[in-house]
Amino acid sequence: MTRNLKISVALVAVLLVGLLTVALVSDPSDEPAAAAETIAATTAGDSDDASAPAETGATVAPVLRPDSHRLSVARDGRVTLVEFLDFECESCGALYPLMEELREQYDGRVTFAIRYFPLPGHANAGTSALAVEAAARQGALEPMYRTMFETQAQWGEQQESKAPLFREFASRLGLDMRRFDRDVAAEATAARVLRDQQDGTALGIQGTPALYLNGRELTLESAEQLRADIDAALAESE
Amino acid sequence: MPSPSSDAPAQVLSARGSDAPGRGDAAAGFVVRASGWILAVCGAIGLIAAFTLTVERLRLAEDPDYIPTCSINPILSCGSVMTTPQAEAFGVPNPLLGIAGFAALTALAVAVLSGATLARGLWLTIQAGLTFAVGFVHWLFFQSVYRIDALCPYCITVWIVTIAAFLYCTLRNLASGAIPLPHRAKPLAATAIRYHGVLLTLWLAILTGLVAEAFWYYWRTLL
Repeated sequence: MTRNLKISVALVAVLLVGLLTVALVSDPSDEPAAAAETIAATTAGDSDDASAPAETGATVAPVLRPDSHRLSVARDGRVTLVEFLDFECESCGALYPLMEELREQYDGRVTFAIRYFPLPGHANAGTSALAVEAAARQGALEPMYRTMFETQAQWGEQQESKAPLFREFASRLGLDMRRFDRDVAAEATAARVLRDQQDGTALGIQGTPALYLNGRELTLESAEQLRADIDAALAESE
Repeated sequence: MPSPSSDAPAQVLSARGSDAPGRGDAAAGFVVRASGWILAVCGAIGLIAAFTLTVERLRLAEDPDYIPTCSINPILSCGSVMTTPQAEAFGVPNPLLGIAGFAALTALAVAVLSGATLARGLWLTIQAGLTFAVGFVHWLFFQSVYRIDALCPYCITVWIVTIAAFLYCTLRNLASGAIPLPHRAKPLAATAIRYHGVLLTLWLAILTGLVAEAFWYYWRTLL
């Protein structure tokens, strides 16, 4: 064996042992609990992460990512309405019935996507987003999304953690609860929510709901206005 | 200018350092012989990866809801990487550059393997291309790990083969004298050639460490 080979093999061994040691030594138990707080603490004005895309000279964050959640999908994929929302935000709750109506009305013609934008002022904004994301990981995005808004009055605007209630929602939806608990606590779930939030921050979103129609921000005025905008986008794409 | 690969190591031999005599020429000979194979294999793998990425990009363009085959989870996801501005650094999708570059590299390396002698100017052209490629790949590494926060498996493949191809092309050109060196730098080059495997391992180990550190929170959830 040449010295070149010996040293190379030794390097690989050192790397593996090093990674394994750090993996075993670092304690996973203390961090997941902080995930929801991290999300809540990342205020919309926090420039730390938001400045990252700007620095690269790239355009601002994408309104829609390939892995963003879609509630309904258009057959031709031409018109997409993206809503940045906070499950505890009352205006989002007020918009929810209209969004459900629109989804039915434009079924198959418009893609409706949602992205998490938990606001710092809401105690359970991050917790609810984590619960919805954990449900989404079991293919139950839509029922959990519905449940959150339909029950908003019963848990919104309160200071204590509603995690047990959200867990109950998940249980009622028949989810695998061991997996749900693991996903709620997982850093990857938090990272997924945070990434949506960071994209929203980078886009300059100040509050929720924020709607983007084919990448263009909409000013929400009335249901008629929203329908007219969607119709215009549909006509444009013909 | 003729520079047959079989007698190429001559330049460094005459200037090897204080290390054990004989080892240097053997290592230089090995690097010169192996570089043809390494460039051919790296070129072919890179070509396949770039080609696959291009096909995936086209599918995604046809259907925005298409899930690329390499989107495995939130971190290992080429869908999220492919749609970023960084994926079109020069205005066209990066893999198109890869297809052209890797195809040329593979063709030239296969020619070398079958006994062709490339002019020094051509070796220097390959060197220039790979030097650009290795710089570009590190920019992409930085963007992917620290800005996009996702890894794309095909892209990682391209990073690795580009680094290996660059390293062995450089060492080969040093060993053959295609890259002229001042007298004092020759012992250093000879050492680099002797420890070619260590250089490659160290290089990739540093990048692996950076990836492990950057996505630590995620890898840990897999344990």
